[in-house]
Amino acid sequence: MTNRSIGFCVRNRSSLVGRLDTPGVAGIELRFTATLVPRAARAVIDMSEVEFIGSMGIRMFISVARALSKKQGRLVLYKPQPMVEEVFNTVALGKIISVQPDAASALASVRA
Amino acid sequence: MASPKGHRIDAHPIRLRFVGSSRGFEQAFLQLRGALDGEEKKPDVRSRYNIELVFEEIVGNIVRHGAPQGGELRIDVSVDISAERIVMTFEDTGIPFDPCGRSAATVARTLAEGADLAEAPDGGFGLKIARAVVSSMRYERAANHNRLVIRLRAS
Repeated sequence: MTNRSIGFCVRNRSSLVGRLDTPGVAGIELRFTATLVPRAARAVIDMSEVEFIGSMGIRMFISVARALSKKQGRLVLYKPQPMVEEVFNTVALGKIISVQPDAASALASVRA
Repeated sequence: MASPKGHRIDAHPIRLRFVGSSRGFEQAFLQLRGALDGEEKKPDVRSRYNIELVFEEIVGNIVRHGAPQGGELRIDVSVDISAERIVMTFEDTGIPFDPCGRSAATVARTLAEGADLAEAPDGGFGLKIARAVVSSMRYERAANHNRLVIRLRAS
């Protein structure tokens, strides 16, 4: 049995599915970073199926957003579940990473 | 309930004992979630999220920073759920650390007004996140153990 129940899918838009707890982040961080950062992506991430996030997930997003910004890329998150959004708000993540309510506003934000 | 070697879990309150390693943390987290699924007095969705959040942040902190030099890091967690309250108790054999103290408050980070992505801290958010859902925390150090009793906010 494993707790690494987080998935990352890239099609037109990218989505994370599952849990961004410590084991989940350990299982996905390398692929998440390696997929987005080398190509200086302007990435919009669908958060609607992320059911849990803790500080390690926040750390991962800040780390990737920082690496992208150095290459003129950008990270935008959208549609977090209410309790995930509360964690974003607790650390004021929205001050440095754009968090949008839906895909349309996320796409507008990433192009801004 | 079957449990991996070196781990123990009882029905009520939920009790977990594990080695403070990444693997021990991962296994204990799975056991906690399984125990919450089987809990007679199932916490509501928000309370459950908060239990898992506090577990994630407090145990994660102990595992990442608490290992004593030359000794084994062992962690005991209990979660007592009743209609009136949820109390989580953490005991560990790690180095002394008071998450209620002033030094802990200074590392409980948030992103300041006007924060810049290039200069933003990318760690140290765990205590801030845990404290947001806690109504009281009490710490004591006795017999080379840290003991932290946390009462969660009612949802």
